[in-house]
Order: sequence, then structure tokens, then C-alpha cells
Amino acid sequence: MTTHNMLIAPDFSPERFAGWHMFNLMIQKRANMNMHLNMPASYAEQEALVAKGDIQVIYANPFDAAQLIREQGYRALARPIGKSDEMVITAASSSDINSLDDIPNGATVAMANNRDVKLIGLRLLEAVDLAEDDLQWVVTETYQAAARQVMKGDAQVAFFLSEIFHSFSRLTKSQLKVLIESDIADISHVLLVKEDFADSDIFMDAILNLHHDTDGQTALTELGMPQGFEAMSEEDAEFMLDLMETLLN
Amino acid sequence: MGSPLSDANKPDVPAEQITLTYHDGTSRTVYDSGIERPYPDGKLIVSRTDLNGILTHVNDAFVEISGYEVDELIGKPHYILRHPDMPSAAYKDLWHTAQSGQKWHGYVKNLCKDGSHYWVYATVVPNVRRGETVGFTSVRRKPSRRKIDAAIAQYAAMKQNEKG
Repeated sequence: MTTHNMLIAPDFSPERFAGWHMFNLMIQKRANMNMHLNMPASYAEQEALVAKGDIQVIYANPFDAAQLIREQGYRALARPIGKSDEMVITAASSSDINSLDDIPNGATVAMANNRDVKLIGLRLLEAVDLAEDDLQWVVTETYQAAARQVMKGDAQVAFFLSEIFHSFSRLTKSQLKVLIESDIADISHVLLVKEDFADSDIFMDAILNLHHDTDGQTALTELGMPQGFEAMSEEDAEFMLDLMETLLN
Repeated sequence: MGSPLSDANKPDVPAEQITLTYHDGTSRTVYDSGIERPYPDGKLIVSRTDLNGILTHVNDAFVEISGYEVDELIGKPHYILRHPDMPSAAYKDLWHTAQSGQKWHGYVKNLCKDGSHYWVYATVVPNVRRGETVGFTSVRRKPSRRKIDAAIAQYAAMKQNEKG
């Protein structure tokens, strides 16, 4: 039996790691296919894996989805239901910064390397006349490290993927102050398959039916998407890509 | 010439009554109360139109801030939001740019159903499907007060020229 390759974008919360393995095992069993799980630690690693040309399935973030669909021969198959990609901008609880207006020109922003989060965060900061060059950027290995930078006062604000911010411990969250949280709703991760992926129908069937039984629901809950996946049409994907396009500048 | 849009209802608050004439030659009565609605924090206001500028999709944030119901918007010309303070030249530039396949950015003052208004930074992109433009997506973000003030001055000067 042919072994396919599935790649998961590296911006998931560490606690989802086991969930992706559970998801992969379940899909292999239900679709009766061999699927090797690739979990790159960075976007550079993701790009290198995709460039090899042997990745048939990608759970991609919306930023990468544009290029993967429009330039690299992937098509959108499904997206998680009710799980849009949002971001949060925070300061330390003890900080004098109480709103976006209080962020000074030249402030240091800590964040993990996530282009969607940075893009959406920068769009929110336009409202207070702050652009990328007005700020100092510290890219941390993890979101937790970004939180520590702000809590220690080494950075004035931090950007987080909302899902990850909300998964922080109560203690961590008590030391952070939310200045704004995006509420875009139309942008989400997407499950892509390579145009020539021969088993896409059986794969799609397994994905869309996962939430219909207890085992599938358990795996999906581990991934933070308890409602499961919904099919995504070509037009759904193009609409999201057009929307992303408007945010690029 | 009759407008595809009916005249606006006179609001309960004091408002200036204005007859707006659109690019298609149609006219209608609108009201400007001068009241500004705050842009909803963290949100994007999204709509799509067909090639003729007829609304085909509006998101919840669009509906909420405009004061219209969804069925009062879908199928109507996008200029339902046009504020009398906006110069025609700004819209001409928008449509010329978008119809030539380019992305357009600009600051726009939009008119709500009740005569109030809100400012946005709008980006319009053509929806290209298999090489053909089939419509346009417009996404609005929250502009800074400084940029709004600059746009107010610029548009006032442009309106003056249009009258002159």
C-alpha cells in the first residue's frame, strides 16, 4: 500500500501534539491508507518539506494556504467548524499600557514566529498609527516564552494566537492584560490535498465523518475542534484567499 | 430617473436632508445626522459585489454597523452606503482601479441607514476565478483618527472642486 504524507502547520498548541497523532491513526484506519505524519517545528522546515514535492495532505494556516493553492497545486478540502484563527495583543497586568493607544512608538513586541498572527496584529495596530517599522520585534521559540518576556518587562506587548493564549494557565493569564482580541471569523486553517492525490474522496469521507462517533469526537476534542470538519468548496477557499489578500498591505 | 434604492427615512435626530445623485444617474434623498458610529474593535467589515457593484455578500459586522437588515442589502447597489461628503472622484478611482484588476485602498466615510456614519480603511480586490474577474471583495479595517482627519480635509477640498 502506498504511504502518503500529511503535514501539520507548526503553529498548534503543544498540548495538541498527541491529538494529531491520534487523528492520524484514526484517519489511516478509517480511510484504509498509510499516512506518515510530518510535524515540522518551524515554517522554514515546513517549506523545505513541501518543496520536496511529496506532501499529499497539509493542515495549513490561512497565510500559507494562499500560496499552496494558487502556486503549488493544492486544493482546499475541509476546514474545522467554528474554529477561526484569531489573535490577541496583551501587555503585562502591571503595565501602564491599558489600551492600544498607550503602546508607545518604539515598543518591543514579543511573539512566536507566526505570520498570520503578526499580519492580523499589525492590521489592528494601524488604528493607532503603529506600523511594523515603528516597533521592535523579539521572536521567541514558543508563545510561552513570549508571555514571559512581557511578564518580565523585557517586552511591552505580546502577540498570541488566541487559542494558545486561552490555553495558558490561570496564573499566566492573571499576569497578562488583553488589549484587543481579533474577531474576524472568516479566516481559518484549512485542510489541503495535492491536486493529484488519488485517494482524496475516501480521505474526505473519513474526515467529514469523524465527529459522528465517540472515538472520532475524542480525537477532535484533543485537537480543540470538537465540532469536526466541514467540506470547503473551491469558492469558499478563494473567498478566504481574497480576504487574506486585502490584509497583506 | 428612478433609483433602485428608496428614499431614506427621516431620522428622529436633527439631520440635513440631501439629494444624492449616483454614477448611474439615479437619485434619492438621504439624511446626514453628523453622528459618528465607532468602528467595532477587532473586526473586519466584509462585503462582496458582482461586476456591477451589486451586493452579493455582507458579513455580520457589515450588517450591524450599517443599520440595515441583510435582505435590505443583498441585491442592492453598494452605493447604498455612500455618504454625501464623499467625492465622486474617490469612487471613480476605486472602480477604475478594481475593474483594471488592481487592488484599491482608501479611507471611506459610509452612511448608515439612520443618517449616522462610520469611517473605514477599505481595500477592494477583484475576485479572479480561472483568469476571469467575477466580482469584488471589499474588506474594511479600523482607521486611525489621524488618517480620518486627513481624509476629511482632503475630501472636503475635492468636493469643493467638484462643485466649482
